[in-house]
Amino acid sequence: MKRPVLVRRDRVLPGSQAFAFVAGLVVALLFGAILLIASGHDPIEVYGRMWSSSFGSTNGLGRTFNRAVPLALAGLAVAIAGTMGLWNIGAEGQILAGALGAAWVARIGETWSSPALITAMLVAGTIAGLVWALGPALAKAGLGVNEIITTLMLNEVAVRVVRYLLNGAWKDPASLNFPVAPKLPEAARLPGLFGRAHLGVVIALVVIALVAVVVNRSAWGYELRIAGSSGPAAAYAGISLKRKILTVLLVSGAIAGLGGAIELTGNAERITEGISNGYGFAGIIVAALALMRPWAIPAVAVVFGAVQVGGSSIQTLGVPASVADILQALILAGALIAGVLMAYRVRWVSTRAQDPSGDGLEAVAGV
Amino acid sequence: MPDAASEDAVLLRGIWKRFPGVVANAGANLRVRRGTIHAVLGENGAGKSTLMNVLSGVYRPDEGDLVIDGRARRFSSPADAIAAGVGMVHQEFRLVPTFTVAENVVLGASPLRIDKRDISARVDALADQYGLAADPTRPVWQLSMGERQRVEILKALWRDARVLILDEPTAVLTPAEADELGGIIRRMADEGRSVIFISHKLDEVKAFCDEATVLRGGKTVAESLDVREIEPTRMAELMVGDAGASVAERPAPHPVGKPVLELRGVNALGSRGLPALIDADLTVNEGEIVGIAGVSGNGQRELADVVAGLTPTTSGSIVLAGVDVAGRPPRVRFKAGLAYIPEDRLGVGLAPALSVVDNAILRSYRAHRRGPLLAVERCKRFCEGLVEKFGVKVGNVDDRIGSLSGGNLQRLLLGRELSGEPRLVLAAQPTRGLDVQGVRAIQQLLVDQRDADTGVLLISEDLDELLTLADRLFVMSEGRLLAEFDPTTATRAEIGAAMAGADGAMR
Repeated sequence: MKRPVLVRRDRVLPGSQAFAFVAGLVVALLFGAILLIASGHDPIEVYGRMWSSSFGSTNGLGRTFNRAVPLALAGLAVAIAGTMGLWNIGAEGQILAGALGAAWVARIGETWSSPALITAMLVAGTIAGLVWALGPALAKAGLGVNEIITTLMLNEVAVRVVRYLLNGAWKDPASLNFPVAPKLPEAARLPGLFGRAHLGVVIALVVIALVAVVVNRSAWGYELRIAGSSGPAAAYAGISLKRKILTVLLVSGAIAGLGGAIELTGNAERITEGISNGYGFAGIIVAALALMRPWAIPAVAVVFGAVQVGGSSIQTLGVPASVADILQALILAGALIAGVLMAYRVRWVSTRAQDPSGDGLEAVAGV
Repeated sequence: MPDAASEDAVLLRGIWKRFPGVVANAGANLRVRRGTIHAVLGENGAGKSTLMNVLSGVYRPDEGDLVIDGRARRFSSPADAIAAGVGMVHQEFRLVPTFTVAENVVLGASPLRIDKRDISARVDALADQYGLAADPTRPVWQLSMGERQRVEILKALWRDARVLILDEPTAVLTPAEADELGGIIRRMADEGRSVIFISHKLDEVKAFCDEATVLRGGKTVAESLDVREIEPTRMAELMVGDAGASVAERPAPHPVGKPVLELRGVNALGSRGLPALIDADLTVNEGEIVGIAGVSGNGQRELADVVAGLTPTTSGSIVLAGVDVAGRPPRVRFKAGLAYIPEDRLGVGLAPALSVVDNAILRSYRAHRRGPLLAVERCKRFCEGLVEKFGVKVGNVDDRIGSLSGGNLQRLLLGRELSGEPRLVLAAQPTRGLDVQGVRAIQQLLVDQRDADTGVLLISEDLDELLTLADRLFVMSEGRLLAEFDPTTATRAEIGAAMAGADGAMR
């Protein structure tokens, strides 16, 4: 008799994470197909529509890229903290804070030239995201307060702050009492790139490249990776963990804040409560699938952007948009399972040597 | 179902358990008679924990037989072991802090409908039966460590464990609590249960246990010794190894220079917040190897960490190469000329998830900077230089460090530390777990350092290594540095007696 046993591989297979990601995608599409059939839809038609709306045209591709920008920046924010083993669950709130900061600049800078205004908005958004991460960063570095809880709770605060402003000081007088802010002036809108894609795509790529270089090539990033691999090893090397925790959480918040500012100037007409749209939470999935590696984030973010754009396009076929959420979750689940399995190989072992009913044993044991 | 014909409660034969790069058990044996308290002795890394995890169903052995109450078993989970009557109290308790004592005791083994009052009464009755004073209605987070341990023992008794494994149970107890525990387990043994008592405190083994089995290097080196008849010094010897096992010849003596490390009245707390290093006075001079012997867990780790700056001192002064470093961060000490080979190579000395290059530059990366970036080529050349000079076998310097074998890890670590031309080399268990060739190479490097007028502080559990290499020798016991020995004249028996706490300085 032989039975299979999972044995951990001594070293990871090359390219296994990319394979795991694709496997997750396939698993998700298969399960999704079952769900679609069960609810009376034709999966080929639905998937075809998702494909053509997200990749099938210049405009579609632009929409997908625009979606990918906040996903990628939120993912990058989570990933840079994750490099050190910290979890920034607050990208959602930091995106809102960034959008708020940018919107505030747009309110006071109505007379500025467009490039100056947009630059100021992006800077303000970045700073606002950093400020939103300041409390959790100080608490974690100084007192060891769990950053998962504090960053998560500040998401709720950010939502309430936006709601307060939209119902009060920032309410559009012409909105007939609806809680919405006035539209942004044209000067505050990010220039286009191609089709519907805006310049934010380029900004995001530059930021990702910059972070990738910093993490992988700089002394600062090296200290970050050491601290992420082993806290005691970092202490041994004379690296101050407190300062690293503080700086990395602030940078993380700043990146998410920039994402919020880009979303506002590039994609939204005005600030709304829903401007963060779950990007901060989806960013956690993006970062996890990219294994916290900055350079892997764009690909993952584009796939997620396509799933989201495609997901909203299939509503005209009578399929609820939540299909996109289900697919995202299934991609993650499938890729995580595949990723774990890739770390193992199957070994067939003989069961006879240890079989309690075997004859050989009693002679050995002398019972 | 117990087989009345067999008086063995536990019989383990030829247990092998391999992990990537490590053989934790290499044919270990254990025989525990019913109604006895059986000590399992061994240094850290001797394979005690692995063997107990095999017995309690956490690990499946690669080879070997496991017989409980006369019946051959194969456990595929701890639940199987519990069903067979084997219970284990781990060093880290596995309790739900917000649950009450009674709820913790019955968790996972309760009737479907829990009547709180009924359960509390039954747990209380069980506790009374064994003298395990514990209020069943109190939440666990309010309890002391000693009380929590009693809850763990109650958990095992509730599941009717006939074999109870206690993994270093007295480590968290005050001396009075430890004596109380001795009485409790004796009562259990008198009832026909068997207790396996893992420890390296020999006085407790002598006081509480009937028989002892000694493990070393994953093998059983002495089985079922009668504790009443054997001297603690002999047990200490068995744990640390026989004379003349693996060590090279004694190197020629070398002239001694100025002090490079002076500790005066140094005190420090251990990880549990109890005093672990007490009034340490120690001097290491240039060109000598000072050895620290002792059974592990007697303050050696704290001594090393205090010198390296990883554990704060509560009082005392530390002067390293003329610099007062007490209270200063690790970097100051390395600038002053400290090289540190920590006991935990992977995790403290090396960052396991990173590449060989990244680990090679851990000390010197600040010197490899070009602007804010690291000069990748220069880092690589530095690493390749170390690899070549210290004979590290490595496929590709960009591979993860975790893929290297133990001996190669240690060579890289030692090479990195020595490349900074240190004044003092602090080596904690530098040869543990290495093969003979690796042991020789590391020992030679330490002697070479001494001969280059560096001071060497060598903390080791291998008494032969210390007797061969050290110019002066101290024994650590219960956080204190005991009398100095001259390794050329001291006998193993004298040192063993001091290690076992039989020295006059004790208690």
